[in-house]
Amino acid sequence: MAQKKKAAKSSKSARKAKSPAKKSARGGMAVAAGARKPTEERIAALMQVPLAVCEKDEDLQTVLNILRNQDEPIELRLAALQVIQAASFSVVTFEPCRGAYIATLREISDDPDPELRQRVLGTLAREKDGFVQKKLLEGLQNPEKALVSPEKALQLLSYDVHADAYPVAREILSKSPNADARREAIRLLAADANTAPVFEKILRDKGETTEIRQMSAAALNSVRPDKLQEYARAIVLDDSEDDELQATSLTAITQFGDQETVANDEALLAHVGELKNKATAKVKQGARRFLTKYGR
Amino acid sequence: MQEAATAGTALSEPEFAELIDALAADPHRRGQLTELLREDHPLYDQRGTAATVRMRGWILLALARAEVPDAALLFVLEEFDTGTDAYLLAAAACALRSYPSPNAAFAPFVLRAIANIRSFDDPVSFESYGEYALSSTGTSPVRELLATLAWLGPHARGVLPEVEALRTEPGGLAKKLRTDVDRAVEAIRGAGPAPGPGACCVLPAGLGHALSWTLGSRGASEPVEKTVLEDHQGESITFQELFRGHPSIVVFFYTRCDNPLKCSLTVTRLAGVQKLLTARGLDEQIHTAAITYDPAFDLPERLRRYGQNRGVLLNARNRMLRAIEGLDAIRSHFKLGVNFIESLVNRHRIEVYVLDAQGRIAASFERIHWDEQQVVDRAVEVLEAKSEEAAPAVRGKAASSAAGTLASLAVAFFPKCPVCWAAYLSFFGVAGLERIPYSPWLQPVLAAVMLINLASLWLRGRSTGRMSGFYLAGTGALAIIVSKTGPGWENAALWGGALTLAGSLLGALAPSFRRQPCVMSETRS
Amino acid sequence: MNVELQINNSVSPGARFVSWAPSPCRIRVTNPSGATSPTVNVQITGRSTTTGGVVVFRSGTTGAFGNSLTLAVPINGASVSFFVAGRFGRPSINNGDVTIEARTGTTLVGSVPVMVRVRKNANLLTAGERDRFVSALAQLNNQGMGRFADFREMHRTSISLAQAHGAAGFLPWHRAYLLDLERELQAIDLSVSLPYWRFDQAAPNLFKGDFLGVSNSLGTVLLSAANPLRFWVTDGVPGINRRPFFNTASAPPGLFNEAQTLGLSTQYRLFRNMEGNPHGLAHTSFGGFIFSPGTAPRDPLFFLLHCNVDRLWAKWQKQNGRFDPALAASYDSNLPTGNRIGHNLPDTMWPWNGVTGGQRPPTAPGGPLATSPGATAPGPSPRVRDCLDYQGSLNPISRMGFGYDDVPFV
Repeated sequence: MAQKKKAAKSSKSARKAKSPAKKSARGGMAVAAGARKPTEERIAALMQVPLAVCEKDEDLQTVLNILRNQDEPIELRLAALQVIQAASFSVVTFEPCRGAYIATLREISDDPDPELRQRVLGTLAREKDGFVQKKLLEGLQNPEKALVSPEKALQLLSYDVHADAYPVAREILSKSPNADARREAIRLLAADANTAPVFEKILRDKGETTEIRQMSAAALNSVRPDKLQEYARAIVLDDSEDDELQATSLTAITQFGDQETVANDEALLAHVGELKNKATAKVKQGARRFLTKYGR
Repeated sequence: MQEAATAGTALSEPEFAELIDALAADPHRRGQLTELLREDHPLYDQRGTAATVRMRGWILLALARAEVPDAALLFVLEEFDTGTDAYLLAAAACALRSYPSPNAAFAPFVLRAIANIRSFDDPVSFESYGEYALSSTGTSPVRELLATLAWLGPHARGVLPEVEALRTEPGGLAKKLRTDVDRAVEAIRGAGPAPGPGACCVLPAGLGHALSWTLGSRGASEPVEKTVLEDHQGESITFQELFRGHPSIVVFFYTRCDNPLKCSLTVTRLAGVQKLLTARGLDEQIHTAAITYDPAFDLPERLRRYGQNRGVLLNARNRMLRAIEGLDAIRSHFKLGVNFIESLVNRHRIEVYVLDAQGRIAASFERIHWDEQQVVDRAVEVLEAKSEEAAPAVRGKAASSAAGTLASLAVAFFPKCPVCWAAYLSFFGVAGLERIPYSPWLQPVLAAVMLINLASLWLRGRSTGRMSGFYLAGTGALAIIVSKTGPGWENAALWGGALTLAGSLLGALAPSFRRQPCVMSETRS
Repeated sequence: MNVELQINNSVSPGARFVSWAPSPCRIRVTNPSGATSPTVNVQITGRSTTTGGVVVFRSGTTGAFGNSLTLAVPINGASVSFFVAGRFGRPSINNGDVTIEARTGTTLVGSVPVMVRVRKNANLLTAGERDRFVSALAQLNNQGMGRFADFREMHRTSISLAQAHGAAGFLPWHRAYLLDLERELQAIDLSVSLPYWRFDQAAPNLFKGDFLGVSNSLGTVLLSAANPLRFWVTDGVPGINRRPFFNTASAPPGLFNEAQTLGLSTQYRLFRNMEGNPHGLAHTSFGGFIFSPGTAPRDPLFFLLHCNVDRLWAKWQKQNGRFDPALAASYDSNLPTGNRIGHNLPDTMWPWNGVTGGQRPPTAPGGPLATSPGATAPGPSPRVRDCLDYQGSLNPISRMGFGYDDVPFV
């Protein structure tokens, strides 16, 4: 009982003292809003107390106004985005702020600054926002309307496996503007298990770049891990294969192969033994780990 | 003008919006709007989830401009119960306010919707199709839901404490919504009689969620019995092998469902069903199954992990399964409420089925959250009905045995005339052969034989002046048809067979027929 | 003569792990041959490799630790208790790199290899420690089909995030979450502990192909060919998206450093504002998964970030003596109104409590909190209060079996 009284008294006196955090929040917002202050000072002020952004409506508006104002320095606008996004992790206390935040993000989704635009689109895409998905798809179908590069658009669309992006991803896979776009198209299509045969085809094709084959291996692994094990084995046994791919295949078998099957695969074990001695450094590393696991 | 029934993926979204607006504007065609809310409508095939949301929201808003009929009410309440999309919830809230009259039963749904969406109270726009709000000064789902509470007025008195809590709890609803909360509270407290006790739980009539599907009504589906399924252990089993011999409770789900109120909860509840069955000692008699909408992705290991993580018991009587060669037969058989973009589900409803011991659908629970106890009780009813059928089935068996014996004797006295053929086939066909399972191909044959028999009796009756044989056989045919309409009518088949035989024999024994006796062979023993 | 040494009062090899907090142990004679009296004096010492862990001993729950301990052990097989702990500053690098030996005179009569296993700075891990951690994590993910999916689910939707953020329970909940994950990793490889990303310092080794990857300009994380995280799959999609908004050769700017964080306040109710800075700002120093609360656990970095958050809390607790839930300054009970469900000291925490519906999420993925052969606390369904005294400083039974390389016990 005495302990409880002591605890309550301690709590009461703690509350009586004015919170330094609160004082700092008030001051911080004032500095952040001060257009005449140096940018670094305003950024530092914002960063001090992210949680305060959502405490009062006027503070929220201060930060959102900075975010949407194209006349503000871009560093400050990016800091405003960072700070309000940090506050959003406190989901329940952020509830009253979310509506205005989302609306602002949509409003500035076509901002002239590419970095801010990309971050805004990414934030909305991770929320599976239909507005941004529509914009990204329009940009892929009509490059004049593109807000980001095709590879970035595909990457952002992949945040929602239920998005409408599969047809355009297939088109890009067959007619890629660049390697990055092709790779992201494969990654996005990995969500559609029926695309497994396409990944197999690319993986088998030694004419494809290593990076694309690696991505196909990863994609195949996410939908048909059993198939990937078959291919991994074949790649390891094929000395004409790319080193990177061999090393990755060894990792796949070491980490995820069926232990009993692999332990009884004498041909594989013997060949990996040779690789440990003869192959390039990265393959040797993979071979060593494999052999350690299988006691050779 | 495109008709709703034939609208499909060829329709662009603007064309779709035009169609909806046209339907809403025409009082004679407005009723088609509800049908378009079915997830399996071709309109949604190969659409992404975001597009599906835009389309469904626009339909709900169209209903809001007219009036929400009872048939659409379930879709609206479903959105409140399990919806997590801001636009759809806002549209549903708006739509409910066009229902002819408030009902206390709606209030808990509205509150649940507020709880589901409040952390994602994103601004929405109803101005035009596909428009997204770029400002938070307009409306939002919580705002619309609060307006709906205000519309409910005194009918929401049962939930007044919860509504009042929305404005007193720390943090929580945005300040700008406090006015809406106050308005709702005022309306709820307002003048007007409060609904009677128990009114909260009485939904409008006709909104039942348990439907009985009868054998034959899904006759257009592919033979689902041969569909091969693979379970969580990688073991293959056909639909027939899986579901024959015992009632089953079947749920549908997929592991990539990102609505925690749907699949994850459905499978978690399935675990609850299993516990109830075990507690009642029925786990060996009633089996459970969870079938994935996403068979290409949901490989056995994924199925197993998903189920285990939700407490599902997995063994030979309780399985998680995928259709190895695709979902089409199952989809068609159950008329699943699902649609796809590529192999990904774009939207689905909650659906739970109780199958009887023949693997036929005896009951379904759709859309609104189902209660484990209720589903188990329904399965027990089916189990008990199966036990009762075993008695008539024994009699039926005896009758069939007798029919078999008679058949042997009848073969000995096989007529050589086509009319008698028809009579014999009619009798044995419908009373005996009909019990052969999974012989749907026989049914058209038997139906044709029955018609031939009736036609011949009519002709015979015309020639003899005695129509009694035709009338008896006709009554028998009717009885056979009635026996197929649902559980409880099976015994009519025996009566039908007897009447058919009697009518056929009567027709055969008519005077002019005597002038041409059938030549019957003698049994050689 | 032979003796049996039980570490954490268990003969299980899984229990042979200690941290800075004293672990209860037992010794008993299993073969008394050669004994000439009812008890025998046994000296217990630790023998370490050059770079291995070092252990210290004491006979009771209080008193100083020493490099050795002599116990009178009855030859009739009855056990004698003692305590062992890692010597602060000398953690193990490999499993079994320190051996506890028992001698009578100069004769070795029993020994057991142990590991001083603590959570370390990710940037300073050896290649072996790094590889074992990454391998265990990849196996837990198991190409998207593994138990990791539960940890992803626990931190996804708004209602589940509400159980863990924006209120006093933020730190205890994440402490339990990390412990659950760490124990699952240890079920795969006992030698693994969760490292922390010290986000107020440069951590260039962390952002390399052999560890958590190098980001290209698109924000795709590139991993070396032999890195098993190449097969990382979450939400059905392979790969990791992460784009640093800073040069990873240095620390992200704008975050409170350790001193500033620890100096926020001596009161928990103010200290927990570190949820905003540095925690929230650490998250938003990158684009990609980790930038948003609902997608953050898709990036393995998330767990290292939170491990540092927990370390900061642990350090603050040590500095201010904040292990006792009865002390108001140790926690924010938000009297008299109290906190949301799951954030009050007596509350059990979702999902480990299995409670669903109402103010809790509709499902509870993952089941009870993982057990450990080396510690019984915090139990399968921990309460908030159970997560404060993680080293058993007040009550030895509260010891959870983990520690930080730079947060001592005494």
